[in-house]
Amino acid sequence: MTREEIALAPNMPKCWNPETKPHKFCPGCGHGLALKMLGEAIDELGIQDKVVFGCDIGCSLLSWDFFNLDSVQTHHGRTTPVITGIKRARPEIIGIAYMGDGGGYAIGAQHLVNSATRNEKVTAILINNTNYGMTGGQMAPTTLPGQKTETTPYGRDPEETGYPTLGPEMVASIAREGAYVARGSIANLRQLKKYLKKAIQNQIDGNGFSFVEVMSSCPTNWRTNAKETWSFVEKDMAEYFHVGEFRVPGQKEEK
Amino acid sequence: MAEAAKKIALTQDGKKASFNLFPELCKGCGLCMQKCPVNIIVWSTDLGVYGTPSVCTNDQDKCIACKTCEMVCPDAAIRIVKK
Repeated sequence: MTREEIALAPNMPKCWNPETKPHKFCPGCGHGLALKMLGEAIDELGIQDKVVFGCDIGCSLLSWDFFNLDSVQTHHGRTTPVITGIKRARPEIIGIAYMGDGGGYAIGAQHLVNSATRNEKVTAILINNTNYGMTGGQMAPTTLPGQKTETTPYGRDPEETGYPTLGPEMVASIAREGAYVARGSIANLRQLKKYLKKAIQNQIDGNGFSFVEVMSSCPTNWRTNAKETWSFVEKDMAEYFHVGEFRVPGQKEEK
Repeated sequence: MAEAAKKIALTQDGKKASFNLFPELCKGCGLCMQKCPVNIIVWSTDLGVYGTPSVCTNDQDKCIACKTCEMVCPDAAIRIVKK
């Protein structure tokens, strides 16, 4: 197969910072896909000069120089209150809090719960990869029953360690009228982009708290190849975590 | 914001579209190979940014220009240019 070399611009979202690419995430990491869809959503809404992007500790902090956006990095789930503060001080900006499942459901759960209860007008995006990726793949609140991790070498036993957190269901049940809550997956990127756009639009409209959980992949710590990675996201995770919209403003309670 | 700077791409021409791969962005994760609906993406002898194999197509004429590989690439290392 003969291949020529030509000069061509990569098809990146416009709000990405091309100088920091290739980004620092592992090969096959779902963060890249989620951030690509977030970048395209920001491009399509045309709000690049108004967004403040906050990232949390963990793998998600590697996105601190990912975008050509005003960015802030905080620790242990504090990205939600920090973005809330920025939003309260400057109501014209659009605040996006980006975190992992450790930051959102474990050490920073109180911030997520209280922001949702107070119905803060910010957008929170949470990446669920069923483990703590940066520290080497320990059990997280979202680890599936029976899944092997560093700290559950025989598989997670729900009798001992409880059941995985269902975040969007929890947020949907405590959030007030006007909240937008959804769960997307990197297995369906067009749908994920639609959810992210709706979540940001919900904040622009000033309705209330917007929360999107993204089912993501961690091939490094799952020790999977590309085929097994897709099958884990599409089958094993989808059995427990259901994709869909849980709260849409202006609609009656569903389910 | 100006468009992203041009990078070196390895290009393969086909009937419907050309397959352009950026070796300095490709990390060799293989996600695109699994998602290609016509199964034409294979490992290449050219190395990616981490010294792992990058990808190429074994018969670009079979490409249906669906851009699925472009969409599922976490690093934007693939660009499909339709004819």
